[in-house]
Amino acid sequence: MSTILLTGSDAAAYGAKLARIEVIAYYPITPAFPAMERISKFIDDGELNTRFVRVECDHSALAAALGASLAGSRTFTVTNSQGLLYMTEVVYHTAGLRQPVVMAVANRALSAPHSRFPEQGDAISQGASGWIQLFCENNQEVLDNMLQAFKIAETVRLPVMVNYEGYIQSHTLEEVEIPNQEKIDQFLPLNRVRTLDVENPQGVNTVASPEFYMDYKFNQNQAMEQAKTVIKSVATDYGKEFGRDWSGLIEAYQMEDAEHVFVAMGSMISDARIVVDELRKQGQKVGLIKVRAWRPFPAEALREALKKVQLITVCDKNIVHGLGGALGTELKAALYGQAVRINSYILGLGGRNVSTEEIKKVLELSEKTAKQTTASEWFGL
Amino acid sequence: MAQSIADLPKEDLFGQGNAGCGGCGAAVAGRQAMKALGSRTIMTIPASCMATLGGSNLKTTWQIPFYHTLFEIAPAVSSGIRAALEVQGIEDVNVVSWAGDAGTADIGFQSLSGAAERNEHMIHVCYDNEMYMNTGGQTGSQTPMYAITSNMTKGKQGKKKNMLTIMEAHGIDYVASASIAYPLDLIAKFKKAAAKLGFSYIHILAPCHRGWQVPPEKTIEFARLAVESGLFELFEVDEGKRTRTLEPTFIPVEEYLLPQGRFKGLTQEAIQGIQASLNKHYGRGE
Repeated sequence: MSTILLTGSDAAAYGAKLARIEVIAYYPITPAFPAMERISKFIDDGELNTRFVRVECDHSALAAALGASLAGSRTFTVTNSQGLLYMTEVVYHTAGLRQPVVMAVANRALSAPHSRFPEQGDAISQGASGWIQLFCENNQEVLDNMLQAFKIAETVRLPVMVNYEGYIQSHTLEEVEIPNQEKIDQFLPLNRVRTLDVENPQGVNTVASPEFYMDYKFNQNQAMEQAKTVIKSVATDYGKEFGRDWSGLIEAYQMEDAEHVFVAMGSMISDARIVVDELRKQGQKVGLIKVRAWRPFPAEALREALKKVQLITVCDKNIVHGLGGALGTELKAALYGQAVRINSYILGLGGRNVSTEEIKKVLELSEKTAKQTTASEWFGL
Repeated sequence: MAQSIADLPKEDLFGQGNAGCGGCGAAVAGRQAMKALGSRTIMTIPASCMATLGGSNLKTTWQIPFYHTLFEIAPAVSSGIRAALEVQGIEDVNVVSWAGDAGTADIGFQSLSGAAERNEHMIHVCYDNEMYMNTGGQTGSQTPMYAITSNMTKGKQGKKKNMLTIMEAHGIDYVASASIAYPLDLIAKFKKAAAKLGFSYIHILAPCHRGWQVPPEKTIEFARLAVESGLFELFEVDEGKRTRTLEPTFIPVEEYLLPQGRFKGLTQEAIQGIQASLNKHYGRGE
């Protein structure tokens, strides 16, 4: 085990290397490309026995990764924003085919207008796709989630997205502890499942009539439900082995007697921890809920964790046009019937800064807002 | 090259119980190709008649692994399959993407060109029926000039895109045209392609009697007339060397075109234009 300075991109690449991925396919896009280049360098230097499929577009990147997975190899790809949207058809298809592909997403705002800056709208757009989605608060979690992602994916036979924000995480150096390879090999043994196999020929994705289609979808969704338990147990197992338990679907921080709770996901969480600690010192009963798994959505866990609080401030780095922030909207639905005021805010779109100052301000604003926001309010315009 | 049909393997790896129309040219092409490819083949087929006639629900006519892919990804998926086989040390498997003219020349062209440029160890097959038959027969880039389709009822104004030349320009290992009317030639070309370690492209003219508006029992006959008229040349480009594999008799083009319902609007002037163009350009004038 060693601790080194890594960007989020490098942390994703080290995670892929430790997972001993067998095939990678990618198409360069900003800001995800450094993760790709790092993996290519590992391959060129002989540190990784992985085949690189240098595809001509993002759509083909996931298609090639899918093909490799169907042929039984552990498979990885990386993208963000426009690349992810371009892939969308294959994103849904991969989930339907129950292939355990892992994809890192360096979250970036969507065009138009053109932006290359961070936001979570790209991942949010795939919320109905059938992929498990994990959001990481720092670069250590990027690496650890990569390894857990393969474990989860191969257990429930669903693909997993590992989300970290462009630049804020992808290009920022942090201390990251690299786990021991032998221990990772024990945690994540390679068990190939060949769907396309000349020794056992099968027809894959044959046309499903109304008598069949719905049952496939039911089973696929059951796997997503199963993932709620698996994500938790994998986090616990990983914690026991490597000393870092990132909790399961959500993490409760300073929640014992909390009255006002901040709820978010991704890089805002690490800042929010600082804010919560500070406000606690001032005697305010503030807590934090980190949503680590956005899909499957942890409705039950959130109901339980938030059943005694009086005020929730939920922040979204995304906008679902015509509705509001995705997390805010889903949280309100999950807590339906619980007596709590939920103020929902959109902030930080397209790279607009969200630091501890902004989080403090939004918490203050929320305290002063007597009536619950009906839709998401915009903060920081 | 097998000397006669009797020399071919008796086993059918594709075809029995398929859901194609009677007289389906695509199904004939699949059956013939599998005589050359054999059981150690993984087949990916994008949205097309061929994808749907190969199986539905819990049944499949394929005796090999068969994957019905999204419309535009078969060559990309096959690239990934090859990568996975390589890293697992599996070397004796043919990886084939098999698309219609849309999945090859139009919506599927990007991933095809990408896989060809990388010279992936695979075969891409275009079974060309010259229109989008799986959606009812609309015009595409492989539809020939003047052909009437369901969305161009006055006939296409514009030429058929020359996919064989485009694929040859990629500098790949092997390019060939083939016709279901010449099965031994077709099978020999698949054998050659399967022996290559890089990318092969085989373009099969596989008439659809519904789209072409000819009797179902004449599918093979029209495939033959296309070749004998010179409108569909049988040739190969093997590691850059171009060889014609059949010398046609050059029947007048109208004998091929006029009996087809899709060319019912063809004027004598148009026929003469097609004949003159053919006489000038056949086999690049070689």
